[in-house]
Amino acid sequence: MKNISIDPITRLEGHGKIEIFLNDEGDVANTYFQVPELRGFERFCVGRQAEDMPVITNRICGVCPEAHHMASVKALDMLFGAEPPPAAKKIRELLYMAFYVTDHTTHFYALGGPDFIIGPDAPASERNILGVIRKVGLDIGKQVIDCRSRNHHVIEKLGGRGVHLAGGLPGGWSKSVSEDERKEIEEVAKKNIDFALFSLKIFDDIVLKNQQYLELVTSDVYLHKTYYMGTVDDKNRVNFYDGMIRIVDPEGKEFVKYPAADYMQHIAERVEPWTYLKFPYLKNVGWKGLEDGMDSGVYIATPLSRLNVSDSMATPLAQEHFERMFETFGSRKIDGRYQPIHHRLATHWARLIELLYASERMLELAQDPEITSPDVRRIPQQIVGVGIGSVEAPRGTLTHHYVSDERGVLTSVNLIVGTTNNYAPMSMSIRRAAEKLISRGKIAEEGMLNRIEMAFRLYDPCLSCATHFLPGQMPMKVIIRNSSSEIIRTVQRD
Amino acid sequence: MKTVIIGLGNPILTDDSVGIRVSRAIRQRLGQRGEADGRNDTVDIKEVYAGGIRLMDAMTGYDRACIVDAMMTGRSRPGAVTEFDPDELCGTRNMMCTHDTNLSTALELGRMLNMHLPSTIKIWGIEASDVTSFSEQLTDEIERAVPVAVNAILGELNFDAQGEIS
Repeated sequence: MKNISIDPITRLEGHGKIEIFLNDEGDVANTYFQVPELRGFERFCVGRQAEDMPVITNRICGVCPEAHHMASVKALDMLFGAEPPPAAKKIRELLYMAFYVTDHTTHFYALGGPDFIIGPDAPASERNILGVIRKVGLDIGKQVIDCRSRNHHVIEKLGGRGVHLAGGLPGGWSKSVSEDERKEIEEVAKKNIDFALFSLKIFDDIVLKNQQYLELVTSDVYLHKTYYMGTVDDKNRVNFYDGMIRIVDPEGKEFVKYPAADYMQHIAERVEPWTYLKFPYLKNVGWKGLEDGMDSGVYIATPLSRLNVSDSMATPLAQEHFERMFETFGSRKIDGRYQPIHHRLATHWARLIELLYASERMLELAQDPEITSPDVRRIPQQIVGVGIGSVEAPRGTLTHHYVSDERGVLTSVNLIVGTTNNYAPMSMSIRRAAEKLISRGKIAEEGMLNRIEMAFRLYDPCLSCATHFLPGQMPMKVIIRNSSSEIIRTVQRD
Repeated sequence: MKTVIIGLGNPILTDDSVGIRVSRAIRQRLGQRGEADGRNDTVDIKEVYAGGIRLMDAMTGYDRACIVDAMMTGRSRPGAVTEFDPDELCGTRNMMCTHDTNLSTALELGRMLNMHLPSTIKIWGIEASDVTSFSEQLTDEIERAVPVAVNAILGELNFDAQGEIS
């Protein structure tokens, strides 16, 4: 048994680690992706007033505070039995769309894009946002920075504070939108639509028109036939802020659709001795280990899965691109629905389609006459004592579950964060990448780190929430051990 | 001269919040002043919760920046305060953002796009001991390092204890 460890070397503690175990024949037996545990979150929260949670949970992570804030506020609506007025829900969703635009933009240009725009085998020093901008032009670099900053400005305006927003209250939102703000946001949304279309065109020109990249995207290197999860509206169209959780099976049939509050009837968490992270899986399918297929309860929750569970997109331009993506992958329609795409690298394309949808939805909401209504809050009159709220975080379905006593003081807290949903599939994709590079004891060191990084990068993991983080571009070390665990070779990248 | 002091970290992750705590202590000491008497010297104090491009954004428009963050090098005792330049950066805990890029790449991006970035950037790292437990309290040695770091940074920036620019 040979072990290969890929270790970021900047952190002596608190880092993720990829372990590759080989069997006696020198083939990959298993791959584990381990991250250290963040401890004591529940203890930290129990005994606090429930209404503090939106401003506590949004500090879990510097990447998706908006997602935690929204899931938390929705959990409080339920815990205090206070249904927000329509305008409040629309303001929340409007802010949330601005957040999606920043998050997906950043991922494409700084994290996911470089693998394609620069090339999967380019040196790591060039595979970053600088390389992307050198290739596509300085003007686009400016557009990326502008896009982030105009949407951060909207988030700050609507949320009362940048990054760790403070606008959410049980039963609504703490401030209404003025007509001047509405006009400004409308302009931002229009620019976002142009920017999203333009980003899709870059993807088209650089990836889809390049035979080598297209083959990589459509190859079976990162193909897993799993179940898919996402939130849909009443017409089974993806919605990031609210709806029912829909799961489709690997053949595209709806397996179940349930309100977020019922998650415990459908999702169980598997604990493995070699990691602190729990693997969520579909309870009613069962745990078969890190395997794909109809009998394994492994599911993913990503931009790709959200599109896979949707019958269509709720906005016109995103719908055109949605159809084009499924057609490109040769997905057939059965009962009016496209069959799911199992190629994980299509996640990058799906993310850009979501960027376009978020931009269009932002414009719809900014043009909605009700968005400037002053009626943004229902004052809670009761304490129900249990609150479950969920939203689609960019990196998967995020659920907050609180229980309080009759005074509204928390007695228990459970979170299932976006990245955790994908922990099993991420490990599977890393294993698939490793299998392609290691066989019969022969190890293709060249490109190994890149291919393995690509496997987890496409899931856009945010481990600051799930546990702690793994750097987006990490100095890595591959340690190869023989069956007696002695190091026989080390591959390192600084 | 426009100076920004940035406290970096997660405010609810025990010692990871030390950079934020130092920046708050500096704010108390200086007061959040705008312009100093008759000169165009200003100091702004910010808290930033993620590295990479957000950190670069926070420095845009300043001539001088000072970043305070927790680090885990294992090379010095918990509570040790170390100053270094970005080019010798071994990486403090939050300079890197998992969702975009590291600080040096973000700075290079800003320069490439002709953004106004500080010509002087100083980084202060404070060796931490617990960065994986949720708590708003620092561990003892790190708590004791806060005034040390405050004095070191103010000394470096040529402020006396009353916070007057000397």
